[in-house]
Amino acid sequence: MKPILEVKGLTRIHGTECPSCLDMTGPEHDTNVCPACGSVVAAANVSFSLQPGEILGIMGESGSGKSTVVKTLYFDQAPSRGSAIFRDGDQNHELFNLNGAEQRWLRNHRFGMVYQNPNLGLNFGISAGGNIAERLLMNDLNHYGDIRRRAGELLTRTDVMVSRMDESPKQFSGGMQQRVQIAKALATRPPLLYLDEVTTGLDLSVQARILDLILEIQHELGTAMIVVTHDLGVIRLLASRTLVMKYGRVIESGLTDQILEDPQQAYTQQLVASTL
Amino acid sequence: MTNISETPILDVQGLAKQFRLHAQDELVPSCSDVNMRAFPGQLAALTGPTGAGKSSVLKCIYRTYLPSEGSIHFRRADGEVVDLARISEQDMLHLRLSELGFVTQFLHCVPRRPADEVVAEPLILRGMALADALAQARELLRRLNVPERLWRLPPATFSGGEKQRVNLARGLIAKPRLLLLDEPTASLDKNTTGQVIELLREFKQAGVAMVAIFHDPELVTALADAEYRLAPPQSLSHSTPAPEALQS
Repeated sequence: MKPILEVKGLTRIHGTECPSCLDMTGPEHDTNVCPACGSVVAAANVSFSLQPGEILGIMGESGSGKSTVVKTLYFDQAPSRGSAIFRDGDQNHELFNLNGAEQRWLRNHRFGMVYQNPNLGLNFGISAGGNIAERLLMNDLNHYGDIRRRAGELLTRTDVMVSRMDESPKQFSGGMQQRVQIAKALATRPPLLYLDEVTTGLDLSVQARILDLILEIQHELGTAMIVVTHDLGVIRLLASRTLVMKYGRVIESGLTDQILEDPQQAYTQQLVASTL
Repeated sequence: MTNISETPILDVQGLAKQFRLHAQDELVPSCSDVNMRAFPGQLAALTGPTGAGKSSVLKCIYRTYLPSEGSIHFRRADGEVVDLARISEQDMLHLRLSELGFVTQFLHCVPRRPADEVVAEPLILRGMALADALAQARELLRRLNVPERLWRLPPATFSGGEKQRVNLARGLIAKPRLLLLDEPTASLDKNTTGQVIELLREFKQAGVAMVAIFHDPELVTALADAEYRLAPPQSLSHSTPAPEALQS
């Protein structure tokens, strides 16, 4: 089976890049700020592949560059360099060579994103159902009744009461907002879903239900996912393989049980040893 | 004509595992120079004192540990021989799904899911319809004396023995070609242990190869076709003395 996504050498540098940026940053220099020019190396030479239906975990603490990776793949940010090939049926898309319209099309039709902060993923000025309808409209579903029915189905699937679909998600609890985001992301049945710290900051019982929902979706729809988190429990539960990032670099990767039981790098050993 | 059972499905040569603990700046040996084979329809028992690295050998075969040295040749269903110590992560995931099974000492499963679904999961992942997978799971739970009232409950609250039976059922249900067993009967009563022995005998008859660690020598006698006795690994600090040791 061919990978659905192949990322090579993904690099994102904020600032006026200089030739020392990559050489003088990273775990061995204990910084991601270039001492020569002050640029921030958010991600450097990140490479990985993702199989259809697979869940890949990206683990690391804040500032490790893990969110940068998914944000560039979702076109929220442009990479400084690198390539990413998205295989969709028999079509290969080189993500970073596409024009704006093509990128928007993929984003609206073939990718889904769930952000840690629901503000980024949802429009609080319109209803929960409206948020989903927006995405359905972009997918050429135009009949009002059809849209409403489909939005209702999606909210039901993600355990949001349909009776509340006409309310603004602003009035929802954090867990419900995440479920609306998931419903919205799934509206087009995308083959690829990005989840950026989706359970961070939620109560444990709410986290559990969101994680259960994500696993159920993966079982039902075979959606490939990249799960970005600093939470080892989330990684253990969801991901079959895991990348560990620090200062913008992938310092270790492997099968998730191997990363957690036999971590090779000092940093990963420290992370695993710090779990409660 | 060669008898198929004379070709090993698993051939471990010179396997060693050390842990490098960075925080303590130490190299901890776990097992060394392990040589063993497993054949279809036979059970190879790993024995030896605590600390001989028996569980480490199983974890290296399953890639939960990265082997430090040696090779782990595995003959796949399609006849090709691959080195489990070196195949890609994707290939390993695929083998875990289709050909390898591992019953660990403790049940690690998705929380909040009822026992029958936990047991059925390997079949569902292979694409079997939910109802069929659940039917097989319940049949196996019945055979392992898990009371029916527990089937729809998550195993988190089960007793040690009940959890272990769920764990066994999940490992056995997919009938892997190579089954790794790490003390699968440690907290079972005599009756259930008898059931497990009977099940494992059926597995042998069906051609499943097994590598097992048993805490109970009687099980080795009852089930093993070969016994590999592991010695504790040579302490590395003896071969390369620490500076303090040299001074004294």
